Amino acid sequence: MATRTPEQTADTPVPTNQEQHVVIFRLADEYYALDIQAVQEIVRMQPITSIPGSDAWVEGITNLRGRVVPVIDLRRRCGVRDSEPTAETRIVVVSSPNGMVGLIVDAVSEVMRIPSEQVEPPSTIVSVPENTYLRGIAKLEDRLVSLMDLDGVLPSHGTVGLGDAAHELAA
Amino acid sequence: MTSTGTRLQFDLDDDDVKLFCEEADEQLELLDNSLVQLEGEPDPDLVQQIFRAAHTLKGSSATIGHKKMASLTHAMETVLDAVRQGRKSPTSDVVDALLAALDALRVLAREVVTRIDSGTETARLQSDLLALLEETDAEAATVADDRPARRLPEAVTNAALAALHQGRSAFLVDVVFGDDCQLPSIRCFQVLQEMDALAEVAHTWPERAAIEAGGGEFALSAVLVGNTEEEHLHGALAAVSDIVQLQVRLLSAEEVEGPLQAAPAPAKAPPAEAGRPKLQVVDESAPAQAAGPARKAAQSVRIDVERLDGLMNLVGELVIDRTRLQQIREQLTPVLKDANLNELTDNFEETTAHLARVTDELQEEIMRSRMLPVRSVLTRLPRLVRDVASKCGKKVELLTAGEETELDRSVIEEISDPLVHILRNAVDHGIESPEERRAAGKPETGTVRVTAWNQETYIYLSVQDDGKGIDVDALRRKAVERGLVPKEVAEAATDEAVLQYIFFAGLSTAKVLSDVSGRGVGMDIVRTNIERLNGEIKVRSTRGKGSEFIIQLPLTLATTKALMVVAAGTVYALPLVSVTEALAEDDADIHSVNGRRTLRLRGRLLPVVDLARALGETRPRAIDASRFVVAAKHSDRQVAFLVDRLLGEQDVVVKSLGDLIGNRKGLTGATILGDGSLGLILDTASLVSEQAYPATA
Repeated sequence: MATRTPEQTADTPVPTNQEQHVVIFRLADEYYALDIQAVQEIVRMQPITSIPGSDAWVEGITNLRGRVVPVIDLRRRCGVRDSEPTAETRIVVVSSPNGMVGLIVDAVSEVMRIPSEQVEPPSTIVSVPENTYLRGIAKLEDRLVSLMDLDGVLPSHGTVGLGDAAHELAA
Repeated sequence: MTSTGTRLQFDLDDDDVKLFCEEADEQLELLDNSLVQLEGEPDPDLVQQIFRAAHTLKGSSATIGHKKMASLTHAMETVLDAVRQGRKSPTSDVVDALLAALDALRVLAREVVTRIDSGTETARLQSDLLALLEETDAEAATVADDRPARRLPEAVTNAALAALHQGRSAFLVDVVFGDDCQLPSIRCFQVLQEMDALAEVAHTWPERAAIEAGGGEFALSAVLVGNTEEEHLHGALAAVSDIVQLQVRLLSAEEVEGPLQAAPAPAKAPPAEAGRPKLQVVDESAPAQAAGPARKAAQSVRIDVERLDGLMNLVGELVIDRTRLQQIREQLTPVLKDANLNELTDNFEETTAHLARVTDELQEEIMRSRMLPVRSVLTRLPRLVRDVASKCGKKVELLTAGEETELDRSVIEEISDPLVHILRNAVDHGIESPEERRAAGKPETGTVRVTAWNQETYIYLSVQDDGKGIDVDALRRKAVERGLVPKEVAEAATDEAVLQYIFFAGLSTAKVLSDVSGRGVGMDIVRTNIERLNGEIKVRSTRGKGSEFIIQLPLTLATTKALMVVAAGTVYALPLVSVTEALAEDDADIHSVNGRRTLRLRGRLLPVVDLARALGETRPRAIDASRFVVAAKHSDRQVAFLVDRLLGEQDVVVKSLGDLIGNRKGLTGATILGDGSLGLILDTASLVSEQAYPATA
């Protein structure tokens, strides 16, 4: 999957005749999109075993047909306020360089193709510096959809346990 | 000449790389092990085995176009051939040159994977090897040949050399028929036909035309080229009647080029007994096969490890389902009984019990199929001992036993390093110098014994030396000096307990026991590695007599027996090997000592630690529940963990937490529980060492 940082997107406009195939999901009242290539499957909320001492946005691990898959709470990761799971809550399972990862979202709304000319770099609309996980905003007729950069959302290897590592060093 | 870092091209695809590496590793390991034994004791079977390994390597490297590797193995083969024919005796110079070449081969073989030129210089190694041959032993040269030397016609030589270069093999076949053979010409023709069927017959003595014309005699020799094996040729040719002597020998390129030495022929054909032809087969390949355990021809197939791992995972899921099914049965049985469905209940119970049994057997079988003999680790040791011993100026003999002991390949991969560390220490610090040994009335050559054996569900590895032993008093003093153990404790401790201090961090054996600096491997790291495998290590030692390190390991890492507990709502698996006792908190003898809750258990004082909190859990637990205490040990330290509930023992299938989560403090992995949810497997070693009181008596 080709990923672009916001800067690159700004410097090199995406060719116009292309479109992106994405899965659109909701976190609270905001819509986000992930490249469909990265999405392995979407499952209903299921039991998750929390890992003591891990970062707040790491919900834990779950059993996906015999595989142990870490699950991230996207609401907490994206700074959206917490809420209890509902009947619509889903786990979007994506493949990453660190293996499969589950992302908890409030609802998965649709799969669609977004023409590239409807996508703008995030800097023109959102100016929050820590939003490294956004690679563009798509302006659809009825709403705005943030295109999520998976590499930005998922921490690089080992950083999840940083809190603990520091603790161990101090000990 | 190529320089370091240049990209290399080889004539093979990715699948073949794997095959090539497997074969090369096998042969290199064989060489590694047997070359050391070559020195001094030129056992013909061993020489033959080594020659073959070099020959195979040459063939496979030539096939893929690895020129450097092919020409180096070629030089090795030439020297080995001289040794084989008795023209050169395997002195330590010869072995050194061969070992140096072997080291280079290892690097060259890696190039096939990396495809990057390692810049390994082979020209000097080759000339060193070939120079050895110029000083041919006078003693060895006495082996004379009573038959005229035979030379192949040039065209045949060239064709045979080309075939060798393509990785095929050349053989010299010598056949002698008995005196009483009625129709030698027909027997000759039969042998020729057999040879034609098996390989390309490059040349024969007498010539093919003569044999075909019925001019065969009582003896026949031939040079064959093909992709076959000596034993195969031997087997097929031995079937021809009236043969009294049959020899099939693999030829090196030198031999093909030079005069061919025949097998030492019997002075005359043995007299036939009462008209009954006696088949006296001189076979040099058969004994080698019987003697060389590495060449054991069991009926086997190569299976990709990934496939075995996949099978293991599937069985793991089956084990989970079995557990789940047993839970369902327990819930269902009363319901079915109430409904008067007794027959159905019995059927159901029988079936689930049978399924459980079959699943267990299946799991065990698959586990066994992943097992490898520990030999693959042990074969690397003679070389190591030789190198370390010669560096330290010591004389050491290594004896190994129990090479056939099998253990899971995952364990084999992990055990090699700790074993090497221990062995290195045994030679470096355990065995005394020849002078010291002589002064102590011991033989100059020290002995290190590495033994492997099976007992119940564990395998044991022992490294025993007859060196000077460990100075317990020095160890006791150092441990106190460095504040690792309170003085009173150390003084009260038995010598056996003090010996185990050797595994403490900060007590390097090197510094305590000898003046050789900078070479001691921290035994604490060795112990940590072994405990990570759910294993244990202990040491025994007698001053002046020697030391013994004993490693205990589980047969497999894929599953482990565990005590399942609940803490703060999460299920944890405590590896059973570390659990010493479990009891209700109310029954436990708990006191407050220096403000810490302490359990008195069998005369020892254990800190009482809330398991969930030790792991960094922040969620509150249900306060009202009565709790349990589980005592867990790590080497000689113990901790009592407070948990909410005990769920009983279970075989758990170990799964990784995944790269994203990585290695968590206090956790080694996850396991799937009967209800499909996940439990966490505890790393008792790290938890106990973090929480325990400093070494207690």
